[in-house]
Amino acid sequence: MGNSIPIGLLFSRSGPYWAPGQQGFYGALAAIEAVNASGEYPFELVAHDADPEGNTGRYAGLCRDMIRRTGLRHVVGCTTSWSRKEVIPVVEKADALLWYPCVYEGFEASENVVYIAASPNQHLLPLLDYVVPRFGRNAFLTGSNYIWGWEMNRIAREVLHHSGGSVLGERYVPIGDVEIHHIVAEIKAKKPDFILNNLIGPSSYAFLKTYHELGLADPSFASAVRPVLSCNLYEGEGSLLGEAIAGHFTVSCYFQSLRTPANQAFLNAVAGQPGTEQVTSFFAQSYTSVFMIANAIRQAGTDAITEVLAQAKAHPFSAPFGKSIVDARTNHVLMPAHIGRARADGGFDVVFEAGGAIEPDPFLTRSRLGIPGGEALPSAKAPHLRVVQ
Amino acid sequence: MNDMRPTPSLIGWRALVVHQPHPNVDALLTQFERIGVAASHYWPEITDLPDLDRFNVVLIDADMGYDDQFPWKPGEAPIPVIALIGSEAPGRVSWAMRQGADAQMLKPIGSAGLYSALVAAAHGFAHRQALTAEIASLRSRLENRELLAEATAILMVRDNISAKAAFQKLRLTAMAERVTLEVMAARLVETINDMRTAL
Repeated sequence: MGNSIPIGLLFSRSGPYWAPGQQGFYGALAAIEAVNASGEYPFELVAHDADPEGNTGRYAGLCRDMIRRTGLRHVVGCTTSWSRKEVIPVVEKADALLWYPCVYEGFEASENVVYIAASPNQHLLPLLDYVVPRFGRNAFLTGSNYIWGWEMNRIAREVLHHSGGSVLGERYVPIGDVEIHHIVAEIKAKKPDFILNNLIGPSSYAFLKTYHELGLADPSFASAVRPVLSCNLYEGEGSLLGEAIAGHFTVSCYFQSLRTPANQAFLNAVAGQPGTEQVTSFFAQSYTSVFMIANAIRQAGTDAITEVLAQAKAHPFSAPFGKSIVDARTNHVLMPAHIGRARADGGFDVVFEAGGAIEPDPFLTRSRLGIPGGEALPSAKAPHLRVVQ
Repeated sequence: MNDMRPTPSLIGWRALVVHQPHPNVDALLTQFERIGVAASHYWPEITDLPDLDRFNVVLIDADMGYDDQFPWKPGEAPIPVIALIGSEAPGRVSWAMRQGADAQMLKPIGSAGLYSALVAAAHGFAHRQALTAEIASLRSRLENRELLAEATAILMVRDNISAKAAFQKLRLTAMAERVTLEVMAARLVETINDMRTAL
């Protein structure tokens, strides 16, 4: 093992989803600097980055090039599932590992990917567990027309079906489409107990603004009565939306407002670095990935992937979102699911702070999909908010 | 998306892998573990395996498999079948199809492919079962066609009514007696036959 170890960073810092890509990139960069400055590692990490600009077709080529050029074994990157699916064949063939630091829709477990990424039993199920007993079981589902929205709504439909609830409507719009008045009109007519919003980017913002206008005109559609649930709404996006987002719910393994010692230490450590004006889970998960790589290389004495993966699966680690470990079966990490309610200033109040991490179940074969009836569940008994540590 | 078939739930599933011992089996068992489905490996014959009905899916070896391995006739497996195909020799692929394979996976087995094969096999099997039941029901109705014609004719002659009215009467009587049309027709024909015999 040489004294410098190359690490690939493959994030789209430009293009349609530049914001989360940039958060991921800066999170990794901050961690690389922290590792190198700590004096605790017998090597130096050297970043090699490429920006696919949100173009799915560019990911595989850029990843292959950086591996060939530098011989690197570890890549941190990808935001969308489409791009991850492009990169997986490359890392499998080149004997490299992709450390994927984003929330996603599950149903995947490649031996060459470490998922520092919540899958639905770590986000959607706990969110429904929290909201359904409090607001009701009849939902309106909406999403951008691609795999994230389809799969999330499919899972929600199954959960509601197993819970005696119903889906009052399900509507999709093309990615980027902001013409969503017809969706709000349908919601007004159907009066669901809550709306599951799997729209992304501008469509999601347009929807939240239009729905907010409906709530102003008719208080029975205020966020306190019929809230909107999102699994991919973050601190920076909240500040774009102001009043329109206040009172709605989101779920994440990480919120900047978490009052844990681990989060305070993390925020102090990265203060002043680029991308830290508002720190999202994209930043925190990417930051964590780099530390996991550095720790596992130190323990293994090599950056060869079999040894590194074995070490990553053997040793618990500390992250801004708490203590965790890589699940040996699925290569996904254990993660907590905190429920946040948006404030008008763009931040989130953590209304449910998970007591511990949830074991990953990317194929939903170990999770119970039905939510029991009756009164609001005491949080300790909420089925998907299991404490495992 | 409302017209989508419900996703088969794999919660609590158990799989039976009937394949010669091979690294492909290890890769498959690893995939099963990731997905969260319990799997057992047997080779070669499962004819004496107890509690076969605890399994939800069987994976068979298209390369080395043979008919007598299984306690069922080719094509009559009572659970979904996934064929594991190595050699794409037409004879072997045909053998797998004759076993009623609802889905297939190509060897070598890598780190993916099992989940979609399980979903496809579950859908394929359910579809096959539904078709078999529908064919049986249609066949039975076809076989009863003569019976219905005879019963209708009896009522036409006995009550001096039209064919349409006779059929309607048969239908209403069946409803009143809470039996199927076919059962009602059979009763009527039987009664007349008994009377004929008695005469």
